[in-house]
Amino acid sequence: MKVETLIIGSGVGAAALAQRLLAKNPRASILMLEAGGSVKMKDAALWQNYVVSGNLPYDPYQDADYPERGQPGENVSLGGTVMGLSGSRVFTLGGTTIHWDGWSFRLKPEDFRLYSNTGQGIDWPIGYDELEPYYGQAEHYIGVSGEAKDCGVPRSTPYPFPAFPYTLEDQPVAAAMEKLGIAYGHMPIARHGVTETTSTHAPCQTTGTCLYCPFGARYSANNFLNDMVAWGAYPNLEIRLNSFVKEITMSTKHRASGVVYHDRFAGKDVVVEAEQVIVAAGALESPKLLQRSRSSHWANGIGNDLDLVGRYLITQPYYAFSADIAANPARLQPEMAFATLCSRHFDSVEEQPKGKFVIGNPPSAPAINLASQMQAGRRRADIDRYVDGTQQLQLIGQIEIVGDWKDRVSNYGKMNSMGMIETAIDFTKPASFDARFVEVQARINRIFEAMPATPAANPFLSWRADHSCCTTRMSTDETQGVIDRDLKVHGVDNVYVCSNAAFSSSGSVNPTLTLAALALRLGDHLNKSTTKASAAR
Amino acid sequence: MYQLTEKHPLSAGLPPIAEDVFASMWRLFVHIGKFWNNMDDPAPYRSQLYTFMCNRISLYPIYHEYYILAKKVMDELIAERGEDAAYELLFTDAGALQTPPKTPLALVRQCVSNEFVAWQLALGGFKAWGAENYCGYIGGAFIPGQPAPYRTWS
Repeated sequence: MKVETLIIGSGVGAAALAQRLLAKNPRASILMLEAGGSVKMKDAALWQNYVVSGNLPYDPYQDADYPERGQPGENVSLGGTVMGLSGSRVFTLGGTTIHWDGWSFRLKPEDFRLYSNTGQGIDWPIGYDELEPYYGQAEHYIGVSGEAKDCGVPRSTPYPFPAFPYTLEDQPVAAAMEKLGIAYGHMPIARHGVTETTSTHAPCQTTGTCLYCPFGARYSANNFLNDMVAWGAYPNLEIRLNSFVKEITMSTKHRASGVVYHDRFAGKDVVVEAEQVIVAAGALESPKLLQRSRSSHWANGIGNDLDLVGRYLITQPYYAFSADIAANPARLQPEMAFATLCSRHFDSVEEQPKGKFVIGNPPSAPAINLASQMQAGRRRADIDRYVDGTQQLQLIGQIEIVGDWKDRVSNYGKMNSMGMIETAIDFTKPASFDARFVEVQARINRIFEAMPATPAANPFLSWRADHSCCTTRMSTDETQGVIDRDLKVHGVDNVYVCSNAAFSSSGSVNPTLTLAALALRLGDHLNKSTTKASAAR
Repeated sequence: MYQLTEKHPLSAGLPPIAEDVFASMWRLFVHIGKFWNNMDDPAPYRSQLYTFMCNRISLYPIYHEYYILAKKVMDELIAERGEDAAYELLFTDAGALQTPPKTPLALVRQCVSNEFVAWQLALGGFKAWGAENYCGYIGGAFIPGQPAPYRTWS
């Protein structure tokens, strides 16, 4: 089998890129290989099951926990800090977009100049201005509702949909922030809104069940891919599931010939020749594939002569700080499943040397759960007192971390339950982090105290790999990173990395919108290359 | 929700829900609103309960048996204690929460009644506690210029 473009993975990077290539040439030959299977979307029975049980149809398609005494588990954590994999990613068509929250921030201009501003990490080889038009296109592609005036970054186009109004739950947070002079705004969120244009994507119906939206209103790449296959009139687009790519094959040092993948259910290896190979398999699987693609041309794996593939692994530590209020006279309770208020006040140049952070007001606090009260057999009067009484508020967010060469992801050798090679994570948090975390907590506690609410003692902190990135980071030259400004592996003419692995640094915001922008930009780059090649022929 | 409903291979061979079984389950659903005083008029949700039950059976064929058992258990309890007391026992008996369920009552509480509670809240029962929207409730789209389908602040 031979194709023009072979894409490994089926998340937002893969889907956005494929759409951009097919928009230029609907007959483009594209094969997408997804290691996992697929989950039925927008299904009434599965949705109702989620509503009454909390079980999601893609729960089985995630990493198991790390091995523990008496439990075989999967993967291995080697470093001083446990970066959890279980729950951080999903192995299905659509990849991890099937379960993301949809926070759709742009990076800020200073994020592209991390080294210049702080002496840490590296600068991106592209600037914010170069990516800005693609940010706008990405917001339209994934369908972001937001408010342009409070996004805090320069922008040339409005959001495709207006921001969702603040919930009543946002009121105490907003009031406290105003009292302290902390800027806040509407959360830019990947939820389709009402539009006058024709769209196959329904607007958000505020069901509060975004992890399995019954209408497909939250961007999930598999919904888009399903539509492209069913209705797109793309005769040469093919998606193969349960197809785990074992290696990229090279015909010369500088040119890939294709891949070898394992068809899990046929139980055999399949060779595919490709003119260009796009590795869009996430920040962990993408470098692993390059590492294990060893040959006489690349003894340590493609692009890995300098031992940089898989290095500089980071994730954004996710925090949740809590505080108690003595009474809940407004009966605040979860009415939405996504945050509507955020603050990028501390996502600033001033905070950059120590690590920026963003703040979100989670819709899940106060964590009133009427169903569990009734199911436990509590009577109406008891539940009324529970709703009116002491509650716990929360503020959540992420803190910026700068990558370190010693932190690395690699292949572990064993096979997991889905027929993929397991993952070794070697990560230790920066020595300066604990002190920074205390500073962040102090800032958040001031907001609580201004409400007024009483900060709780034990903050929640997770190093889970949800926002892992930078593992084949983009750089101006091969001594600092693995891929160039066009996402092409240094020293190879036709292998690209289109995943969070490509980030040079991550700032403090969720990576998905930036990845979508990079994917659309890569699509334009490849389309230009195709045009030039055609002209030459 | 325009795609077909996911089906378990065994559910296709099952008979439809019997009328008397559904009637019994409907009474159970109505009594949830009566016991917690959170739904004055459940009538509009009758067809949604039926669809919900069909979907549970479609995913998990054993629910066909759960619903038949639930009718039997409730018939016996009602005959023994009277209607209101029978439902009060079903909704509040602490022993029926023991997992895994080892008695018919526990099975009915955990697999039928408590699921109906969650579904009843999602259909609108939550409004009795002051909110305008709820996780599981189809509140509708936010249409600019019109009130949002949840409580807001500006």
